[in-house]
Amino acid sequence: MLDAGICNYVAISYGHSGLWGGGMRQLLFNTRPSEACFGHFGAVGRYALAAQRGMHEFSSGPETWKHIAMGQRKWANLNPAAIMHAKPMSEADYHGAPLVVEPFRLFDSCQMNDGGRAIIVTSAERARDLKHRPVLIMGMGQHNPSNEIAQARYLAGPTGAHKAGRAAFAMAGIGLDDVDACQIYDCFTYTVEITMQEYGFFGRGEGENWFQGGTIEPGGTMPVNTSGGQLSEAYFMGLTPIAEAVMQLMGRCGPRQLGPETRTREPQVILCSDNGGALQSHSCLIFGRG
Amino acid sequence: MSLKNKYAVVGVGYTPQGKVPDRTSLSFHLEATANALEDAGLKKDDLDGLIAYRHFPPCPGEPDITPQLIAQQLGLAPAYLSQDAN
Repeated sequence: MLDAGICNYVAISYGHSGLWGGGMRQLLFNTRPSEACFGHFGAVGRYALAAQRGMHEFSSGPETWKHIAMGQRKWANLNPAAIMHAKPMSEADYHGAPLVVEPFRLFDSCQMNDGGRAIIVTSAERARDLKHRPVLIMGMGQHNPSNEIAQARYLAGPTGAHKAGRAAFAMAGIGLDDVDACQIYDCFTYTVEITMQEYGFFGRGEGENWFQGGTIEPGGTMPVNTSGGQLSEAYFMGLTPIAEAVMQLMGRCGPRQLGPETRTREPQVILCSDNGGALQSHSCLIFGRG
Repeated sequence: MSLKNKYAVVGVGYTPQGKVPDRTSLSFHLEATANALEDAGLKKDDLDGLIAYRHFPPCPGEPDITPQLIAQQLGLAPAYLSQDAN
C-alpha cells in the first residue's frame, strides 16, 4: 500500500487482554474435535508435538532449550519493563519447573499477559524528517508450507523458516555473518532453536553446542531476544521481536542496549522472525540502521 | 524493483504489560497506536493506513477487534484498513 502510493504512514497494532481478560486461555483451550479425539489439545500440544519430533530426528531437547530460556531471562533481568525482570533463572529453576505439555516445562513457554504494542511504517524518504534515526527494512521473506501442523509434510523441518529466511537474505543482499543480533518469535524455546537452525546459524542437531557458553546472552557473540522475548518480557506476537529490533537499532534500550554496555557488537543489522500455525506460517524480516 | 531499504519503521508504541486489570483488548490497541504515533513525532491525522495484527476470537464480554473499530475509536478514516488471519 505504501509502494502503491495509497498510504504514507501505516500503523500496525496489537492488543490483547490475554491474561486478566481471559483471552489467552480461550485461545489455548480452543480444541478441534479432529485433534482432541487423539488426545491432542490446543496450541501447546501442537508445538510440543513438533518438538518431540525434533528430539527424535536431530536430538533437540531440554539440554538445548535451557540455554535459550536462561539466556533470554538474563536479558529480561536488564529490562525493567519485562514481566520477569526481577526473577533470575538458574538451571535448577529451569529443570524443576512443572511440565505443561511434555516435553515443554513452564519456562519453555511464553508469557500470558495483557497489553499492546504498535509500530509505524513509512517511506525511507519520509522517515528522514521524523524524530528518531529510521530503521530500514532491508529484506523480507515469507513461506507457508501448510495451514496447520496436522497437514504438515515435515514436522521437524524444513519449516517455513527455511525458504522465508533465504528470501529475506536474498533481498537484503547480505549473509548470516552480517547479522549482529536476532529477535526470534519464541512462543516456546524450541521455536527459537528450529528457526535459527532453519536460517542456517548452525547445522541440524548442532543447537546444543551452538547455544552453550552464553552465545545468545549479554556478552555473547549472537544476542537473541534482547528484551527477554516472549518467554521473559511479554507476548505480543510478532511485535515483541520487531519492536525490540527497532529500539535496539535506534539505540534506545538503556541497560540492555547492544554495544559496549552489554559487551556485544553495536548493531547494524538485526534479523527478526514471526511464525504461526505451529511452525506452518513464517515471516522473516531483516532490519538495518538507517 | 526491490523493496530493499525503501521503507522504514519510525516509531514504537508500548502500553502497560503483565496483569493489567479492567482493560479491554481494544484499549490496548488504541493506547499502543497513539503512543507509536507520538513516538514517531506524527499527528494522528497523518495516519492513513492501519493494520490490526492478528484476528483472535473476542475475549469474553469484549467486542470483536477489527481495524475499522480501532480507526473509529481513534477518530480516523484511513485510506487502507487490513487485518491478518488468526
